[in-house]
Amino acid sequence: MDFIVHPVLLFVALAVCGVGVALSIPRRRFHAGLIGGIIAATGVGILITALGAASLADGSPLPNLFFHGLAIIALGSCLQVITHRRPVYAALYFILSILSTAGLYILLAAEFMAFALVIIYAGAILITYLFVIMLASQSRVEDEEEGISEYDAIGRGPVTATIVSFALLATLTVMMFGGIREISPPGAAQVAQAETVVLQRLPGKVEKALTREGLMNPGESVAGVERTEAGVFATVESADGGTRQVALPETLTPTNTEGLAFNLLGEYPGTIEIAGVILLMAMLGAVVLARKFAQIDEEAKATAAAALAEGRADAIGTLGADVGNGGGATSDG
Amino acid sequence: MVDLLLAQSAFPEAMSQHVLAHYLFVSAAMFTIGLVGFLTRRNLIIMFLCTEMMFQAAGIALIAFSRFHLNYEGQTFVIFVLTVAAAEAALALALVVFLFRKRDSLSAEAWAEMKG
Repeated sequence: MDFIVHPVLLFVALAVCGVGVALSIPRRRFHAGLIGGIIAATGVGILITALGAASLADGSPLPNLFFHGLAIIALGSCLQVITHRRPVYAALYFILSILSTAGLYILLAAEFMAFALVIIYAGAILITYLFVIMLASQSRVEDEEEGISEYDAIGRGPVTATIVSFALLATLTVMMFGGIREISPPGAAQVAQAETVVLQRLPGKVEKALTREGLMNPGESVAGVERTEAGVFATVESADGGTRQVALPETLTPTNTEGLAFNLLGEYPGTIEIAGVILLMAMLGAVVLARKFAQIDEEAKATAAAALAEGRADAIGTLGADVGNGGGATSDG
Repeated sequence: MVDLLLAQSAFPEAMSQHVLAHYLFVSAAMFTIGLVGFLTRRNLIIMFLCTEMMFQAAGIALIAFSRFHLNYEGQTFVIFVLTVAAAEAALALALVVFLFRKRDSLSAEAWAEMKG
């Protein structure tokens, strides 16, 4: 295989990363969070530098400069999520990693998904997590020091877990860096074709752009868009049925949201329905799981019913007290 | 050589394999950090947070490939990944609240006797 980063360098950098991550996981005797983080960052830095050097040697462009900053913030805050002893801070660091991931999505020209990620993940899912953490952290645990529970302060088998996980990372990266040269980026013709395919589905947008540029008269309509050797042309149909070819202006390009919308709703309409059903079932399941089970004593219920039939109001008060006790005592159902 | 433009007004150009490799490495590293966290942390909520992190890493890889091949399939699938993540968060948190009411602790080891 034709590696873009030499495997020995790759393994050394990954080993450095692994040592850093294993050091930074909280444990009983010492907690070397900062040192571990610095060592892990060194390992990632070696690898990113090697990747950059490889692309310079091949004459390929480096990724956008913002990529490096966003990647460091994303990986650093992910490390904080798994090493921070306080769950609330872990969740907040996860929000930071989501925000920088959204930045990476924007660099990858996926604007719609970037904003969807911020709204759905950072805005909804993580807020739910924070609520549950705050709800569950109210318990008074005996052996906690400085308000940190024992199970948050000490990790479980950090060395084994790190070795196993970084073996997986080594396998993944060896496969990626070895095989990445075998896939080729699309050529200029395919890029142009991808653009035209989206424009073909947007006759309204083409019509608006042509009218704005004064290339189309009132009463005419766009019948189709096609790509030829000379460029992209729109077939404009006049009211009396005659057609003519109009070259599209250079500035007319489909946006990410338009392309994504046609792909999502045009190619996968059934999957959206299934996704909706999944969300509905999750909602029902969550309601069933999280509700409190109030068990009313059957005997007391029968007594109360009999009392009601006799018109005695004082017996119902007793049942009310019973329900209160029952709900509290058997809430774990 | 380095494209400093953040907002792309034009349709994206083709991306080189080396840039793709950068993004894939970030994705794989984030997945690994999530896996380490899932294996080492003993707090149920943090364990579920780590699975969300692994979902996110998969999302970066999907979107990087979608950008590389210049089609929208990858981005469409990230929408479905988000759906599954939201459903999982709802169910997992309901379960965690249920388990917390039983044992008054978020520790995964409070349930150590649940063996096959």
